[in-house]
Amino acid sequence: MDFGLALATAALPAFAASAVEFVEALTIVLAVGVTRGWRAPLIGTFAALLTLAVIIATLGVAIVTIVPELLLKAIVGALLLLFGLRWLRKAILRFAGIVAIHDEELIYQRELAELRAQGLQRTEFDRIGAIVAYKAVLLEGTEVAFIVIAFGANGAHALNAAIVGAIAAGIFVLALGVALRQPLTMIPENWLKFGVGAILSAFGVFWFTEGLGFAWPGDALSLLVLLAIFLGVSFIAVRMLRWMLPSGANVEARNV
Amino acid sequence: MSSALRGIWDNVVGLVIEDSQLAIGIVAALTITWLLGAAVESLHETVGWLLLAMLILVLLVNLVVTARRAKRRIA
Repeated sequence: MDFGLALATAALPAFAASAVEFVEALTIVLAVGVTRGWRAPLIGTFAALLTLAVIIATLGVAIVTIVPELLLKAIVGALLLLFGLRWLRKAILRFAGIVAIHDEELIYQRELAELRAQGLQRTEFDRIGAIVAYKAVLLEGTEVAFIVIAFGANGAHALNAAIVGAIAAGIFVLALGVALRQPLTMIPENWLKFGVGAILSAFGVFWFTEGLGFAWPGDALSLLVLLAIFLGVSFIAVRMLRWMLPSGANVEARNV
Repeated sequence: MSSALRGIWDNVVGLVIEDSQLAIGIVAALTITWLLGAAVESLHETVGWLLLAMLILVLLVNLVVTARRAKRRIA
């Protein structure tokens, strides 16, 4: 796999997908840092990043090097479809107003209130702050690990490119968070989820079919056609749901 | 620690299964594709497009069912 292909099919999708997850983790870490000081949440964050690095290094490398290529493509394709269509479904429902848009500001304020209510003894190490940050980064990071392994399943070059993409996303989101010291509400999270959901689904169809031993016309170029079809159908689906439920915006957040 | 592990496990499962009907539909589409690809040689060229069509159908049906359910809730 050459550099350009690895960039397009592993690094960029991994960057976009990981950025969404890092934004969600940053919201929690910021809330902890602002209310309880920065030392504990930073230790929690670094511990979680270390855990994730171990998961990716062991699981990712083992899967990519041990499992036969076609079987790996079929398994990863199936997982990407389960994961990608789930994201796409949620983004469509959010655009249609049936599920509430993910509100980083609201989550941030809620987290601030909860953490302040728990109080803090300044003489001790803030275990709660460290654990909350660790859990937030680890839980959101599990998705990042999954994304990296999935996009890196096409070989060592792809795995390296996906890791670089995810690390770049982490640095980008962290730098923005440090600079602004507030939740990154300006990042169009649902648009990212919508786009990445379609990308993951397109890769899923492509790889599952290749894993079964069938080639696509134009090879990797057919990914663009698959992506265009998923995006087109999703736009139509949003319009269809808005037509079905004109008051969709009032339905949101009812655990649909 | 156990709650953290449970959270991670729930998250890992939740990565792929949020709506069980959607997950079942996807797995069914993948299985049909695999069986057709293995059994009917003339479909080798089109099996990918067939999978795409089935997945789009699964997604649209799931969305319509979800919207109808939401509509009933607010009615």
